[in-house]
Amino acid sequence: MHGNTTRRDLLRAASLGALLGGLRWGRAAAAPAGTVAVGRCKTYDPAELMPAMARMFDQIGGLGRIVKGKTVAVKINLTGAYTYRLGYAPLGDSHYTHPAAIAAAVSLMGKAGARRIRILESPWATTDPLTEYLLLAGMEPREIERAAPNVEFENTNYLGKAKKYSRLMVPTGGYIYPGFDLNHSYEDCDVFVSLSKMKEHATAGFTGTLKNCFGIAPVTIYGGNAGVDEPALQPTTGRDTFHSGSRQPSKSAPQERDFMGPKQDGYRVPRIVTDLASARPIHLAINDGIRTMTGGEGPWIREADKVVNPGLIVAGANPVNTDAVSMAAMGFDPMADRGTPPFESCDSTLRLAEEVGIGTRDLKRIEVVGWKSGDVTVDFAELRRERRGRGQAGRRG
Amino acid sequence: MPSGLTPFRWPATWKGSSALEALDGTPFDCLVCEKGAAPGGVQGLMIADPAAPPDGVSITEGVWPGVQMARGQAAASSGPTGNPWVDSNGWKIRLEGALHPGARVWVDAKPTAGALAASFPRAIADCAAYGGRWIVTLDEGLAGGIAQGNADAVAAWKRIAGAARFFKDHDAWSGYAPVAALGIVSDFSGDNEFMGQELLNLAARTNQQAGVILKDKASAASFAGLRAAIYADAKPPEPGLRSLIMTFVQSGGTLITGPNWGPAPGTPSSGTELPGYAWRAAGKGRVALAREEFSDPYTLANEAVLVVSHRYDSVRFWNAGSAGFSFTASPAGKRAVVQMLFYTDRGVASVSVRVAGKYRTGKLWTLDGADARPLEMDLQKDAVELHLPTVSQYAAAELEA
Repeated sequence: MHGNTTRRDLLRAASLGALLGGLRWGRAAAAPAGTVAVGRCKTYDPAELMPAMARMFDQIGGLGRIVKGKTVAVKINLTGAYTYRLGYAPLGDSHYTHPAAIAAAVSLMGKAGARRIRILESPWATTDPLTEYLLLAGMEPREIERAAPNVEFENTNYLGKAKKYSRLMVPTGGYIYPGFDLNHSYEDCDVFVSLSKMKEHATAGFTGTLKNCFGIAPVTIYGGNAGVDEPALQPTTGRDTFHSGSRQPSKSAPQERDFMGPKQDGYRVPRIVTDLASARPIHLAINDGIRTMTGGEGPWIREADKVVNPGLIVAGANPVNTDAVSMAAMGFDPMADRGTPPFESCDSTLRLAEEVGIGTRDLKRIEVVGWKSGDVTVDFAELRRERRGRGQAGRRG
Repeated sequence: MPSGLTPFRWPATWKGSSALEALDGTPFDCLVCEKGAAPGGVQGLMIADPAAPPDGVSITEGVWPGVQMARGQAAASSGPTGNPWVDSNGWKIRLEGALHPGARVWVDAKPTAGALAASFPRAIADCAAYGGRWIVTLDEGLAGGIAQGNADAVAAWKRIAGAARFFKDHDAWSGYAPVAALGIVSDFSGDNEFMGQELLNLAARTNQQAGVILKDKASAASFAGLRAAIYADAKPPEPGLRSLIMTFVQSGGTLITGPNWGPAPGTPSSGTELPGYAWRAAGKGRVALAREEFSDPYTLANEAVLVVSHRYDSVRFWNAGSAGFSFTASPAGKRAVVQMLFYTDRGVASVSVRVAGKYRTGKLWTLDGADARPLEMDLQKDAVELHLPTVSQYAAAELEA
């Protein structure tokens, strides 16, 4: 205990903690609960995928009410450098959102009347156009571009096509950051869609539509080589600063609320993801779990294991609801928290997001269509137990 | 034919005719040694003085191929993107080959201090894959070890000889032509030496195979098969060359050039957003006209890749670490070979390689086996994807349409 800390300070802190805890419990209890649809689709064949996805969008209330006449930004999930594959598997079969899933969603949005659809991602350490990055990854952007009228792509890992970054603040004040400076595309849209790969994550336990938002932050500001005063011109690293808290972002951007706070990545990453998803609210959340990988978010993870075929797509208007159902469909308990799989060494992003009122993770409050509790096509939780039983546990590789 | 020779630099520490026995059973048939330094009793071997190469041979100074290590060898030195920097002789062999048509290019490059004996076969492959030959040069330690019969050194020597034998046996591949989407037009000398040569070097580092087009030898055939050409020389092209290049553009090619081209060709147009460039149309083709003179070959090489588009990459790797390649095809295009170089010292596993073209069958060659192995292939619309077993240093995929 610090010598200067008085009994009155402790009482004040305890009261404040209880008050905040109460507020968070109140927000969690009132966190939005909506409908989440689970679609069955064993392959990425459009003949199977399109009807499945169309049915799901109908089940959650129709796509038209979300996208009609709107500029829709779709954040896809292309984590890590394209040069890594899990074995010989194409990236869309393991850890990238599959291009056919992107094309199907884009096609349905176009049919539902979206005015403009912008595909967004912050690919690894490059200012190259996103279309070129997709080609490098072995994906054909034309199939996405031709799926609907007015489809555009933007690399959001730097300033991009705008003259300045857009500042988006966290309405609740933020766990770590009060706000973020982001590529303009995250502000210049009416609707924001997170189209993620459903998988585990070495640091955050689970990757879904919330965790996908980690990649909206430009590394020119939030990377290890970010400019000190102003953003760097080019992205050259990953978001290691988010993980380690080793430095503040460029001074031009909102600074961390408490730079002396905990530096453990299992503490920071879930909170930063929640801050990002608060600053840039998600209107439509889709998890691609048709084919995915076990053991982590990419092949570079030490625990990365194999490609699996759960044959699922999960969609909802609320990202916490959607991620909760996705976790349950993977065999995990969405009410789990630190110390319990898949959050053995981190806090639950879902719990943190629930506590700031983004959405509930309580399956009892979520209307789930197309899935019932215990229906697990690929049991990620069991595979995780087996893997770790063999001693294959590990953090980032 | 002299150009079919396999050169070996006679180590200064190998004394006496008995040392020649080390060459028994090896493919080395030409001893390279400075005048007066040849061993006595040489029979059936050619002696070549590097200052006066044999007929049909052009000798150029090269680099020890591999990932460039930082001081202390603790970490790889990085290129501008933070990727490990790779030294390779490929671009130089292609340039020397263009400058000396019909000649076999020999590369004179000494091993770096501390070079692993296991990395010598890669030095052979790094030259041979591009149609050249490394003058096999042992370092003092390895030469001494071989002379003393040290088991490790002798084993390394056998692997070196095996690699040299492999390329002697596959010399027919040297007659295949490079498959390139990008050509670089220059004289690669004088004011244009730095920009021209570095462009060749750095295009390879961006995983592109660039064709060498010499200004004074250019013809319509020089542009055959190309999607784009760079003209970045300091002075405008002569009328004949200008006409040749514009004919290429008119028929659908793309020219990447800058203010030094002279009056802007074609008419204003639009194209892929590329900061610093204006697009112009000419016939069926287009011109990416840089607003300022080129000064950084690295930037230009990377921009050229985007102008061409990765859609037209001839070869693309996954899980390969620091890799390079030479992709050549037979004159009729029915057969092709992708020679792959892996510069990391450990082997690479689960490597996938996408090769543009409609190839139906293939086999895999490596330096550690005499026979080719079946190649796992995934046939795609306009390409084939190869799935390699764990490989080290070098592998060649021989493909047939």
